[in-house]
Amino acid sequence: MPGDIVTNPDNTSPALDRTPAEAALAELIVSSLQLEIAPDEIEPEERLFGEGLGLDSIDALELALAISRSYGFELRSDDERNRRIFASLRSLSSHIEAHRTK
Amino acid sequence: MSTAPLVDRPGGTSLFLLPSGRVDGPTFLADAHALAAALPEARHVFNLCRDRYHFVVAFAAALIRGQASLLCGDATPAVLEAVAARYGCAAALADDPAVPSPVPVIAVRPERRRAPAPNPALPREQLAAIVFTSGSTGVPTPHRKLWGALVDRSRAAGLRFALEERGPASIVGTVPPGHMYGFETTVLLPLHAACASWCGQAFFPGDVQAALDAVPSPRVVVTTPLQMRALLQGMDRAAVRALISATAPLDPAMAAAAETRWGAPVLEIFGATECGSIASRRTVEGEAWSPYPGVTLREEGEATLVHAEQMDAVTLADELAMLGDGRFRLLGRRADMVKMGGRRASLAGLNRILTGLDGVRDGIFVVPDDLDRRTTARLLAVVVAPDRTAPSILADLRDRLDPLFLPRRVVHVEALPRNALGKLPRQALLELLARVEAG
Repeated sequence: MPGDIVTNPDNTSPALDRTPAEAALAELIVSSLQLEIAPDEIEPEERLFGEGLGLDSIDALELALAISRSYGFELRSDDERNRRIFASLRSLSSHIEAHRTK
Repeated sequence: MSTAPLVDRPGGTSLFLLPSGRVDGPTFLADAHALAAALPEARHVFNLCRDRYHFVVAFAAALIRGQASLLCGDATPAVLEAVAARYGCAAALADDPAVPSPVPVIAVRPERRRAPAPNPALPREQLAAIVFTSGSTGVPTPHRKLWGALVDRSRAAGLRFALEERGPASIVGTVPPGHMYGFETTVLLPLHAACASWCGQAFFPGDVQAALDAVPSPRVVVTTPLQMRALLQGMDRAAVRALISATAPLDPAMAAAAETRWGAPVLEIFGATECGSIASRRTVEGEAWSPYPGVTLREEGEATLVHAEQMDAVTLADELAMLGDGRFRLLGRRADMVKMGGRRASLAGLNRILTGLDGVRDGIFVVPDDLDRRTTARLLAVVVAPDRTAPSILADLRDRLDPLFLPRRVVHVEALPRNALGKLPRQALLELLARVEAG
């Protein structure tokens, strides 16, 4: 569930270095794109598109729909800024936290 | 010598709609001539512009100088380099100075200052563009576009979609300008048919909504089945006169849902990079496609050939059945072709690229059965490459393939189940994959 918080009681898993919001977004990315990796395999600073996860333009569209459903706001293209927003899990998550309506 | 004008629209009407204002014919011609004067001597130039208005100014500037634009879509640097060498291409027109280019970049920065500029009559036989698709050998295949054929098709589309009837339409296109479908409907169409093309952002449903709010009525959305699905989920209100879709057959149920949602007809264009748009239909009215005026289809054995003026006969990659009344039905795609997000590639070509990588002894791309129905479905690569890791193979492929065709997973196996003829029966491959998955 996108709203769930991933807890990390034993302090050993790689999920340690991410905020609850980032962990929830990682879950949403994996489930909406049906990626064959675990959510905590997405490094917060790793590139989502191109190198790194290697997502493409169809994925961007799919992800925008999932974000709209889960967080209640529409992504917009805005050249430079957009490239920054989609750069990594961390940047996308902070954009969402700043704009979410649910 | 037979000619057609660069622009054939009444003086003050809008051709292009920018977020910062509208562009009419004289302003566009002034921009095109200003850039044309800055171009070096050349027979071919790359057009790498991302912005739609910059793209059309660059294309027109090249035309004015008698130069053909090379359109490579989302080509990788390796592809651009191969094309540059093959065509002795000396310059690239681009609006992003940092764009990867194998040749010097000429900046495209139209000033949109209205100044007296002639509207040239261009020979119909002039080579206007060469559009590239990924070929079956892994090397890009060129498709030559003569000016006369492009103009004829714009006029035919203008008639087919009745753009003249209720005043010039505003076209909001979600498709890139360098893809043949986007090139025809959002770059060329406003030059010869009663419409103006939106040149701001239009990718996410939120963009399309904002674009529709910004342009005058009547509005026409030009899009793809994938984007249509996104619009149905993300765009509630919209006053549109029509929606046009292409690149893959639209699901009739989705077309019906879109017609109900927006109270407008959903039309589809059928075409291919080789021959451009050649037919259309209204999806909810049935399977039959009506060829554009000026386009003739002829069956030759199993194949269908497309004929039109200023165009070499083209053999379609799709199989179709002619109906008695001149219309046709689509039967399917030839087995070697795989289509993703409107782009097409030959599986044989993809496999050749995979097996050409260092350390890959054998390999094959696997197409999931539900590729056409599931938007998250992607190709899979199975390799015999004991000394290579999956990420390193992916990194090599990334330099050579359109990202849409990158495998979502690279699966290592000890050997591929090839039969005595060297062929790989799909069933044997799927069984092998199932065994690997089971561990």
